[in-house]
Amino acid sequence: MVKNRSHARGPGSFELSRGIWATWWYTVSAVLLFELFFVTAWAGAWGTAEGRNDVDPVVLAAGAVWFAGTVWLLLAYRRREERGPLLPRRDIPALLVCAAAGIAMLVLTGSWLAGAAFVLQPISILNWQRGVRLRVVGTVTAVLVALAVIDRAQSSVELDPAAWAVGMAFSIALPAASVTSLWWWDVLVAFDKARAVESRLAATQERLRVATDVHDLQGHHLQVIALQLELAEKLMARDPDGALEQIRAARVSVGEATQGTRDLATRFRTVPLTDEIANARDLLQAAGIAATADATVDADGAPADVLGPVIRETTTNVLKHGGGRRARLALETRPDGWRYEIVNDRAGDADGTDGSGLQGIARRVAEAGGTVNVRREPHEFAVAVWIPGEGER
Amino acid sequence: MIRVLLADDEAMIRSALAALLRLEEDIDVVAECADGTEAIARALELQPDVCVLDLEMPGIDGVDVAAQLSRRIASRFVVVTRHARPGVLRRALSSGVAGFLPKSRGADEVAAVVRKVAAGGRYVDPEVAADALTDVRCPLTPRELDVLRVGRRGETTGQIARTLSLAPGTVRNHVSVVLGKLGVATRQQAVLIAEEKGWI
Repeated sequence: MVKNRSHARGPGSFELSRGIWATWWYTVSAVLLFELFFVTAWAGAWGTAEGRNDVDPVVLAAGAVWFAGTVWLLLAYRRREERGPLLPRRDIPALLVCAAAGIAMLVLTGSWLAGAAFVLQPISILNWQRGVRLRVVGTVTAVLVALAVIDRAQSSVELDPAAWAVGMAFSIALPAASVTSLWWWDVLVAFDKARAVESRLAATQERLRVATDVHDLQGHHLQVIALQLELAEKLMARDPDGALEQIRAARVSVGEATQGTRDLATRFRTVPLTDEIANARDLLQAAGIAATADATVDADGAPADVLGPVIRETTTNVLKHGGGRRARLALETRPDGWRYEIVNDRAGDADGTDGSGLQGIARRVAEAGGTVNVRREPHEFAVAVWIPGEGER
Repeated sequence: MIRVLLADDEAMIRSALAALLRLEEDIDVVAECADGTEAIARALELQPDVCVLDLEMPGIDGVDVAAQLSRRIASRFVVVTRHARPGVLRRALSSGVAGFLPKSRGADEVAAVVRKVAAGGRYVDPEVAADALTDVRCPLTPRELDVLRVGRRGETTGQIARTLSLAPGTVRNHVSVVLGKLGVATRQQAVLIAEEKGWI
């Protein structure tokens, strides 16, 4: 079954598998770490310029406010919708906070580069359309380089050249580095969506194959039945016995068609044996029989193709014979194989209707090299089946 | 003579089955009904020995008819179905249905089951039983089922919380776990799945 959670969010939003979120947090922390370096680089540069071998607290405070604003915008990036607005209304305050921090930086330091970087970084991580983002980042980086040149020319603040160089490098690289990280995230999202589409496609193909099989099967049988009935119609007057035979044959064909369709439908339906035992218990309890079931967890390794039909047959037998009060089912792993036992309090095998069922069980089990042990007592009826195999070592 | 009431919304099948059952010497079809409501009314009036009910009928389905009637009259019930949805057998057995078989069975087999059931026996077709046994297990805990059951008519989270004496937050947690387990988006969809599978 293809899980469909797209209704939970808006149409066109991303629907992702759980594992990919770890990558998201990794991406975000990489961007945030880079921003942290950027802020401390400027704060440190001005601290040094003011003669203290320390960070400038005011610059650091402005940086912290700006940092908080970008965290908000980054988290908004995760929620974004592919064709959603560039800046959803709820994210506007965060951008304004970043802009205010940028103006504060410009006033505090007089550096166009630092102020602009504070504003342009959040702008470059907005929800730009595919392709537009590249041009935006290119422009932003070019503007930052130009501002760096202007800053250098003005040299309004005397900075240590090395500290200035670090701050400048971080400022210019920041938008490009962030957007590259987010681009990597977008690629992962695209992969994840492709994977979801692929599994849906596989399910559709499977459905198509089953539909074709059903069509072939039914087409074949219907053709046979039509011929048999046509023959019967023509024989009716001259050869009533022959006609009757054809009608019987048609009924057999109908039975085959029904069985064939059923086999197709159940072809892919397999449940673990322990589930089957638990279902059997629920069913017997629903029928008013006090049923218990013991199945060891590792018994799921038992051959389901042999034991599955045995469980179904024996449970049906218990159900058929009304009036029972107790039933106990057990499936256990033995050193030499698996043992299944069903015990109920039915008083003997009065009508003998399940004789054929027991024979069927015996045949299946014998084919797998196992044994069947049927115990009939006045107040208890038990069928025990042993199948050889790897079992528990 | 076993007096039988037949209810099936498909007229062709109903009349053919009635004609075939009437051919049996010990069976008399006393009523043919086209839906569940009619079946309940006629059964109360005629008190048949056995009611043969189609599972898929508009309005009240076969198992519900049996559940409503079993408390009021002494009839025995046989449910026939084209496609035994998982869980239906469990629901049928607990509402007192004595016989359950697929529609693909011939009238002679239906007659045999009617006789067996009329004699106090129970019959579950192996095919139907196999369907029920190979059903996926319910992945939900009893508490999660409680939340779905109480909220099946679209009750709010607050109402569910009051009914179950839980905090609304706990109910919301249960619901989100249920949605995750069943892979659906809304509580209503979860309720539909749970009802279809016979979990609630």
